[in-house]
Amino acid sequence: MTTSNFASLLGRWLIAICLMLAWSLPLRAADAPATQTSSQTQAERQQTQPGNNAPMWREVRQDKAHFTNNPGNEAGVLIQSGGDAWRHLRNGSVTHYGGWLVVLVAAAILIFYMIKGPLTNHDPLTGKLIQRFPRYERVVHWITAGTFIVLALTGLAILFGKHVLMPVIGHSMFGYLMVLGKNVHNFIGPLFAFSTLAMILIWARDNVWQNIDALWISKAGGLLSGEHVPSGRFNFGEKTWFWFGVTILGLTVAVSGLILDFPNFGQGRADMQLASLVHAIAAIAMLVLAFGHIYMGTIGVHGAMDSMKTGYVDETWAREHHEEWYKDVKAGKSGHPQG
Amino acid sequence: MARMKFLCDAERCIECNGCVTACKNEHELPWGVNRRRVVTINDGVPGEKSISVSCMHCSDAPCMAVCPTDCFYKTEEGVVLHNKDACIGCGYCFFACPFGAPQFPNGPAAFGTRGKMDKCTFCAGGPEENGSKAEYEKYGSNRISEGKLPACAEMCATKALLAGDAPVISDIFRDRALRRGKAGDAAWGWTTAYGKPEQAAPVAKEGAK
Repeated sequence: MTTSNFASLLGRWLIAICLMLAWSLPLRAADAPATQTSSQTQAERQQTQPGNNAPMWREVRQDKAHFTNNPGNEAGVLIQSGGDAWRHLRNGSVTHYGGWLVVLVAAAILIFYMIKGPLTNHDPLTGKLIQRFPRYERVVHWITAGTFIVLALTGLAILFGKHVLMPVIGHSMFGYLMVLGKNVHNFIGPLFAFSTLAMILIWARDNVWQNIDALWISKAGGLLSGEHVPSGRFNFGEKTWFWFGVTILGLTVAVSGLILDFPNFGQGRADMQLASLVHAIAAIAMLVLAFGHIYMGTIGVHGAMDSMKTGYVDETWAREHHEEWYKDVKAGKSGHPQG
Repeated sequence: MARMKFLCDAERCIECNGCVTACKNEHELPWGVNRRRVVTINDGVPGEKSISVSCMHCSDAPCMAVCPTDCFYKTEEGVVLHNKDACIGCGYCFFACPFGAPQFPNGPAAFGTRGKMDKCTFCAGGPEENGSKAEYEKYGSNRISEGKLPACAEMCATKALLAGDAPVISDIFRDRALRRGKAGDAAWGWTTAYGKPEQAAPVAKEGAK
């Protein structure tokens, strides 16, 4: 072995040892703090490396409350991390996909109306009326509907207003309108929650699924064929809106809204961020389903609007849309599902 | 153009809350509103550190991004300000802000009636005319327009809290960090003993890089 060969071999080994040390050292450093609390390590770190505050800064990023003289809620949290995720979800996916969903569903319903037109009665009206909705049901319905429309408009303005409305009416006009809009939203919200609850109570019994709903599902409600499918007091489409739209989404929107509306129960920012996302997503889902319901209740079905306005429907309408319910009422029964 | 920043030196802050009080007094802030607060980490144990925090005047400010009425704006110096006339008090800026900077005069009130959001203005007022009564009542005093520093930083007894142009105050901080914790010979360096100005060493090093 020549001297130069030996030197190069030694050099290679030295490089290899240095690399091994370089790889192993950071690993050991990363393993160490996990077994101790960070205050201990900060205290220890100060002994070994004065001025190295890495353990303290690690602790700061853990969303924990520290000591402060400020009496505010969560004032002891120096840095909260959840706001960044909330910001990106709200400004990103929720605004983007939610906004296009609202526009596309509205457009789809409009196209459906232009192609298929409204559902009409096959037989001429008899002129004989039967009661479909007593007064208390109509009152509860219209309180819910009225508050829903106001909440939907103000809610849409809070999420999409600065992208859609502000460029049109200007910054200061939009600002003044939104001061009003936000307060209207916050004060009417609880009324919507109460009327939704009342609505669930009065109509839950009539919306329980029945055997006859299978027929409605198999014929897709006659929505495309124009055929009249027999059903009870409410058909399967109405029941789906009731359980999924009004009950599940309505209560989700109401509960998350109340959490946001009454921050005076010590909710933290993490609670508010979650409630805000749940509220926005559930509200958009409820709104697009409501588009369907409003369409069917107004221009989509002849005679549907009158039933909720006056409480009465023509016998022809009752027979063609809700045949089982019509037969029950004519037989002197209550019209509510029996048994 | 200057880029205004706050910088709090955790090695110097003694948790006297002088900055909090100076700010509250300077702007005559309402009860319950503190634009600045001091947080102490590891309170009472070795390694305790205190930091004064308020609005950090972020470059990519989360409050600006989430505001439903776009009431925030940024000055040429990078100071994040807001227009209280357009503020609806929804609290979204508070949910988004990492530092808990936005404050509300009514606190977490029922029906979300928090009132108009209030936060640190870097003592730069608001959209109203500089030094006007309307500006003072809404946003507090405008010291920047008078060529003064923010009241909190000017008040700070240990000069832990620095406010000003980012390159200038970060240079001060870097200089401190280089000298920190040294005693005896190391505090002064051999350069002083042999006649060279003490500041010369770090400056020369930086230039060489």
